[in-house]
Amino acid sequence: MFLSFFTDLFQQDFMLRALFAGIILGVLAPVIGSIVVVRKLSFIADTLGHFSLVGISVSLYLSTLGISIFFERPLYLGLFFSVVGGLLVELFRRSYTNYKEISMVIVISLGAALSAIFFSLSKKTGSLYNYLFGSILTITNYYVVLILIIAIVVAVLLIVFGKQILAVSFEETNAKFLGVNVNLFQFLFMVMLSVVVSVLLESVGVLLISSMMIIPVAAAMKVGWSFKSTSAIAIVFSELSVFFGLWMSYTFLIPSGAAIVSVNVIILLIVSAIRKIRLKMQIAKQKPLGENN
Amino acid sequence: MIQYIKRQGDYMQIDVHNLSFAYGHKSVISNLSFSLSSGDYLVIRGKNGSGKSTFLKCLLGMNPVKNGMIFYNHEDINNFKDWTSLGYVSQKFEEFNYEFPITVNELLNISSLKVIKQSHRLRALDQMGILDLLNQNINNLSGGELQRAFIVRSMLNVPKLLILDEPTASIDKLSTDYFYKAVNQLNLQGVTVIIVTHNDTIEFLNYSHLLTMNNDMTFTFLTKDRCKIAEVNI
Repeated sequence: MFLSFFTDLFQQDFMLRALFAGIILGVLAPVIGSIVVVRKLSFIADTLGHFSLVGISVSLYLSTLGISIFFERPLYLGLFFSVVGGLLVELFRRSYTNYKEISMVIVISLGAALSAIFFSLSKKTGSLYNYLFGSILTITNYYVVLILIIAIVVAVLLIVFGKQILAVSFEETNAKFLGVNVNLFQFLFMVMLSVVVSVLLESVGVLLISSMMIIPVAAAMKVGWSFKSTSAIAIVFSELSVFFGLWMSYTFLIPSGAAIVSVNVIILLIVSAIRKIRLKMQIAKQKPLGENN
Repeated sequence: MIQYIKRQGDYMQIDVHNLSFAYGHKSVISNLSFSLSSGDYLVIRGKNGSGKSTFLKCLLGMNPVKNGMIFYNHEDINNFKDWTSLGYVSQKFEEFNYEFPITVNELLNISSLKVIKQSHRLRALDQMGILDLLNQNINNLSGGELQRAFIVRSMLNVPKLLILDEPTASIDKLSTDYFYKAVNQLNLQGVTVIIVTHNDTIEFLNYSHLLTMNNDMTFTFLTKDRCKIAEVNI
């Protein structure tokens, strides 16, 4: 099974595109996901995904009206709405400082409602499935180039402003005393996150975006000993899930996004089990010493 | 101790004039006034609900100052921009996400936008007695070790004013002694210190001024002779 998968991987253009896009997203998603987890906003990717869907549904609706000059690719309007959703979350977060999750519930509900309205108006509800669950195997060269450009821009921004973004993420209050412009870097990160979410939408779908960003980080947190090691391990887990997810999708003819996320969850379960066993073994080793004392 | 080299212009005069603060209709602070000069050491005492934390939030620019005034070096706090001249160590770091793996070294790395020499960081950690924890995940540190790591962090930008909000509330006696010894020495090197603390720990402090805040919004502001410094230096 593996042999035919490898043969097709390098012979079929669509497989190669999926693999290449998967490798880039496999780095991008957990890197941004690590910062999202630090900010305790794990739910935000789902929120932005739903709001991004508004842009896509509006784009489809406009195309039915013959307005498609600027919105030929739904992805762009999806990206714009994702950024708007991110800014709305920040806005509501300030109104509910002690109940930050409320902001996400408001935005996700609004996103789901508006998407349903515009998909219905566009009469293209059939395409909804693709946006909900994504399909990395059907992506175009254009998309691969786009995510490569976005990955490079995100990498440059993180290299230049990583310190400020992490300072704001780990402790918003104290960042001011370090000379960090808190509002500016919160805004910058929210825009970066919104862009990454909207490009993930086409490959893994709205319902699986947050899994792609958060689950590898959740697994890595169980074995990481520093921020760098946790992020690096999350990337390794993410890349493994992309590779084995593609294999599963190809072999068992199941949706690629779902397969990738399933592998992610399997990795999380394995890591959690190994950690539990190791902890039990450590406790068992320490017990006789304690008893002697 | 942490090397704090006082530079020309490192002066921090604090003036509080008739400060009042209310949460909605509930007044918490009423007509609070006092002044501190550079190098002073103020201890703020008071029972729960006396407005200590509210006042600290005013000093830190987290609570808007609308009634009354606070000046840092004669500059109104509402126009004050030089927040890097303040170092802040909070009570329990509720806001810091220390559940995510991050080492002490990484914490210090993201805590200063200036380029800080590694040797300077190592010396600071060594003087705080936590050099061996450099590559430790902060998850694994005790409350006292974590507090000392945070005070090293707050000193990396060489602040003129160090504000500490009940910093020893959740740490053991030994760590408390270590912590106050460190703060006392920082003050002796010229850092102005404002600390909110429990009544029972006040004997460890080299304070020069004592502000007692009461629940009925009255307050007393007393100066203390600096000769006490020698006798309480642990």
